[in-house]
Amino acid sequence: MGLLTILKKMKHKEREMRLLMLGLDNAGKTTILKKFNGEDVSTISPTLGFNIKTLEHRGFKLNIWDVGGQKSLRSYWRNYFESTDGLVWVVDSADRLRLEDCRRELSALLLEERLAGATLLVFANKQDLPGALSKDAIREAMALDDIKTHHWCIIGCSAVTGENLLMGVDWLLDDIAARIFTAD
Amino acid sequence: MACQLDGEVELSAAVKIPDRLLKRDQERVEAAERRKEVQESQTVTEEKSDYFSRGFNAEKAVIESLLSICSNLDRDKAPRVLEEVTLKIQQLQKFFNDSVVFLTQYELRQAQASLHTLQSTLDEKRDELLPKKKFAFRSRKAETSNSKATPVSTDSSQHSKSDGGTQDARSAELHVADGNIGAEQCGITNVDSQTLTMSAEEIQQRDVLLTHLTNCKVRLLGSPSTLHIKHVRDCEILCGPVSSSIFVDHASGCTFAFPCQQLRTHNTTDTRVYLHVTSRAIVEDCSGVRFAPFNWSYPGIEADFELSGLDKDRNNWTLVDDFNWLAADTHSPNWAILPESERRSSWD
Repeated sequence: MGLLTILKKMKHKEREMRLLMLGLDNAGKTTILKKFNGEDVSTISPTLGFNIKTLEHRGFKLNIWDVGGQKSLRSYWRNYFESTDGLVWVVDSADRLRLEDCRRELSALLLEERLAGATLLVFANKQDLPGALSKDAIREAMALDDIKTHHWCIIGCSAVTGENLLMGVDWLLDDIAARIFTAD
Repeated sequence: MACQLDGEVELSAAVKIPDRLLKRDQERVEAAERRKEVQESQTVTEEKSDYFSRGFNAEKAVIESLLSICSNLDRDKAPRVLEEVTLKIQQLQKFFNDSVVFLTQYELRQAQASLHTLQSTLDEKRDELLPKKKFAFRSRKAETSNSKATPVSTDSSQHSKSDGGTQDARSAELHVADGNIGAEQCGITNVDSQTLTMSAEEIQQRDVLLTHLTNCKVRLLGSPSTLHIKHVRDCEILCGPVSSSIFVDHASGCTFAFPCQQLRTHNTTDTRVYLHVTSRAIVEDCSGVRFAPFNWSYPGIEADFELSGLDKDRNNWTLVDDFNWLAADTHSPNWAILPESERRSSWD
């Protein structure tokens, strides 16, 4: 039995989840986090380091880690992988020139052993911009359909307007909950 | 007398102790029983790895035997069997996925390898037994014609240089998307030695992209939603208030002037930025970037400030984070404040 059962039961009791939010710089990770938490998004500056937010949603306690996406910070991403239940990958849908970079970084992440059990939510952010690619175009460009190792879902959203943020997080919670809280 | 008393005490104690011991022993046995029950009720059979491997292997054997017989079946029955196999493999994959958390690395790899073999055998059988459907053939044809068009419509040499990455099939696909930038993306690309102006109607609240410009003067008279500047050399780029972020990559020898909420500067050398920024500017992999307060103006800039939502009274142009310089006590060598004597005051 048992260690796993015990762990699951402990988690169940706390109903706690750890979400890791990553993506290239300027994707809108911090804006998503703050908007979701109902904070002012007009004063956000580029993340030098990381932000953590703990918030309650649907009876779950979410620990959301938002780590800066600058090139010089990406090598530190792996310090945050441990015991991640859900990975939120944020894409700037209007940044066509770096989509290939974006795909490469994500596919490297998915090979990480410590993220092997995590559910993947891809936010195709900045849908409010007129030149933004649709979520289906992003899905194709990022070759998401080739992902067989993780549960995943892509959702078009706008951190500025808040559109679809809730829907994405709800999907993520449902998927994680179905996985880790079904021990009994 | 004293001695007799002692004897009495001892005697009564001897009678009482076994009673207490018996009771305690009984309690102990009951407690052990309870613990055992609890333990049994908590053990989940599904979580034992031998349960998994037994179930997995049994199911795998069934699928293998189905696969091996379907070669001998006639054309009508084969599709049905293959369908069944597909379903079974899916179920097995699900069973595996559900069990992933408590399997050891070795078991994981083994099971994954088995699943992979089953899937590829199934694919082989399907190719062998089922006639190709027409639509599959057509879609493949469409793909090839697509990739043929790629080199024509894109400037792949520049991209492969800038990305520094390997050129694979997928990046070729992406270049097709790049090729369409002109159609959907608002901006200017591939221009040399010209003066270019974009009006408010063209850029208002849009995401504007300026790429591959050399020795140009660019005026953006309006309020874009975001601005991307990439691969520019010896240019002067002036822009109205940008609602959110400006992203600069690979610029050299340029002069920029713009108000924005955030400025992100990458791989930029020897560039002057006349900046109004309401949150913060950053530099990464830059050198010789110098900042001054924004002082350009054009008719209607007040209205554009309103539209952009930027606070005219908050300018943090001196607060620059260098992602390659984390020492707080010494100033980054990569950026500086432009001395007042060197600042421009007129722009026309």
